[in-house]
Amino acid sequence: MSDPVSDPVREREAPFFIGWATIPEGLRWFLGGIAIGLVVLLAGLSYLTAATQDDPGDGAFMGRADAVGLLQAAPYPILHVTQSDSFAPGTALMLTGNGKRGAQPQADAFDGQLVAVSGARISRGDIIALQLRGGENGISAAPEQTGASLPQPRDLGRWRITGEICDGKCYSGAMRPGRGLAHKACANLCLIGGIPPVFVATDKIDGTEFFMLADQDGGPVTEHVLNHVATLVEIEGSVERHGAMAVFRIDPATLRLAQ
Amino acid sequence: MSDRYVPVQWNPNKWLYDAVLIACVAAYILIYLNLGNPAADVTRPADGAIVRMRAFGTCAFFMLTAILCIGPLARLDRRFLPLLYNRRHFGVITAVVAVTHSTYVLNWYFAFSPTPRLEALLGANTSYGQLLGFPFEAFGVFALIVLAILAATSHDFWLNFLTPPVWKRLHLMIYPAYAAVVAHVVLGYLQDTKNPAFALVFGAAALSVAGLHLAAHLKDGAARRAKGAWIPVARPQDISDSRARIVKMPDGRRAAVFRDGARIGAVSNACAHQNGPLGEGRVIDGCITCPWHGFQYRLEDGCSPPPFTEKVPTYDLRLQDGVIEIAAEANAPGTPVTPLDVPEASDV
Amino acid sequence: MESAQTLLMAGQVYVWIGLAVAVVFLGWGLDRIDAKGHGSWMFRPLLVPGVILIWPLVLWRWQVLARENDNLQNRHRPPLTTQRLMGLGLVLAIPVLIAGALLLRQDGPLERPAVMLETAAETSSNE
Repeated sequence: MSDPVSDPVREREAPFFIGWATIPEGLRWFLGGIAIGLVVLLAGLSYLTAATQDDPGDGAFMGRADAVGLLQAAPYPILHVTQSDSFAPGTALMLTGNGKRGAQPQADAFDGQLVAVSGARISRGDIIALQLRGGENGISAAPEQTGASLPQPRDLGRWRITGEICDGKCYSGAMRPGRGLAHKACANLCLIGGIPPVFVATDKIDGTEFFMLADQDGGPVTEHVLNHVATLVEIEGSVERHGAMAVFRIDPATLRLAQ
Repeated sequence: MSDRYVPVQWNPNKWLYDAVLIACVAAYILIYLNLGNPAADVTRPADGAIVRMRAFGTCAFFMLTAILCIGPLARLDRRFLPLLYNRRHFGVITAVVAVTHSTYVLNWYFAFSPTPRLEALLGANTSYGQLLGFPFEAFGVFALIVLAILAATSHDFWLNFLTPPVWKRLHLMIYPAYAAVVAHVVLGYLQDTKNPAFALVFGAAALSVAGLHLAAHLKDGAARRAKGAWIPVARPQDISDSRARIVKMPDGRRAAVFRDGARIGAVSNACAHQNGPLGEGRVIDGCITCPWHGFQYRLEDGCSPPPFTEKVPTYDLRLQDGVIEIAAEANAPGTPVTPLDVPEASDV
Repeated sequence: MESAQTLLMAGQVYVWIGLAVAVVFLGWGLDRIDAKGHGSWMFRPLLVPGVILIWPLVLWRWQVLARENDNLQNRHRPPLTTQRLMGLGLVLAIPVLIAGALLLRQDGPLERPAVMLETAAETSSNE
């Protein structure tokens, strides 16, 4: 005798369903149960999955803001506020363009000058960004020049710090959540567009856990960090204070995953 | 069954099937957005677009999981066979949900940039050399293309045009696509979530697909190929009425030897429509009826009754010392073969 | 971004060829190879996306059918072994992917102290 592949005899009593005919009596309750069960199961999974989402933090767009201050163009545009209704004097604002564009093209012409800026404030904790309005509405030379100059950088030493490289705009609250691996490609796109990379550290140095990243010479460092965005990494470099803004001048060769 | 193509061959069972699917999707999305999301413990709620991409993304994952469970479930317990009947509509609806997910992703994460969206999707993250930070979107794109191909080729025309084996090979891409979806989630969202609930639910769902496939594999066992020009099958009375014995032939194909009262006939086990296992079907009104979609073939010639035109190969049979023997070579589809007459079997 | 552009360009070319194949096949070829399509037009728009996505396969089947080269027995050889192997592949892949991803996860202690490697240089220290 040949080897039977299956033995339907054992399943003699199972009702036989034919799609184009009516459902057999013996299957109605079973199939009805599956239908209701599937809807209930998916409803339950939906609630569970949605209600246990992580807290994306409190970063957000906080409305229109204007300020006058000293503009620092490198490594990425920063405004050191001297006068504003929205910010205390001495506040450092990370400047960005609209969408995923940096403010470099708007800011370069005003490096070291006193300027008036206007845009949308984005903030999360101590980190504040300003999304500039277009053209002269965003940055223009301040009407009264006081002759003030950019704060002298203060060296805080050479450090090895653990943390996450984020794009400064999304992390500040332009997106919620604006960090993590699910958001990595978006962060890279922001960085490629000129948004400053920020380092969110797991420890504070000189009272801050946010650092704008720069290369060892204090210039932009974007292309060296793209592969390491959104993961927990360890980097070595020197930390400097530029007024209220902490800048981490990193040695990209020391970048590695934190174990 | 039909003798002519129509956009969709509706019948009451399909309406019911699709209504349940739509109810599932509607319940999932509405509960996610309106009950679950507001209940999340957050300082400020996540962006609407991000919540929606999560809702549609997880919904598509759970639906795909359910689809992949149907096959092994039906093999383990025949009562699940009706779920297989309209599985193609399940797939099409899942593809629509997955496309919605990808649309939210494209119009949020990859928008607002001077780089065009699709170019940004493909080029923003190129860390292909590392696991953490790997562009997991690529897995999603692959799965989405597969879902699109499967949805776009779900019409019966494609089965007939490509032939069921080629169509099936194409649709087996659902396996790598599901693996890609799992990779897409575990290298992306799963790495971020601090709350373990999602990881647990996701892991349980994906592992149940693996577990059911393993169980079905172990149950099926591998039958040996028979040898010789004539292969002994069984005594007529050992085949129950209106049922079949499935035989693995020397060329690796399977044949189904049916008994309908005192008549015994043999056809290919693979239905002409989607290669469903005819031998697991029944003889109804003198016609072999496929357990998957109810396609029917006459016992004596393997042809569908008019006006239908489907045909399956038949096999010659003979009775040798009270045992049915089947010829190793199949006849051309639709070849008439006089059924064996075994009046003694119907008395059992 | 250059390779992304190349890939997108290739994708566009593929889709345009597919569209051309769809027009010719659905408007002209289908009637000659599939009797069930005769006089039936409503279902054809549904086939357009499929033709665009798998047009090389369409061209291959079209020429087989047009030359009446089709082996009818081959229609009854389902890829059961391939299906079993792919199912087993999934049985293997899913636990490996999940376990691997959980091992990769960076959820160790997140309050890792910063380490000072060198103190601040005297010259630039602020008074």
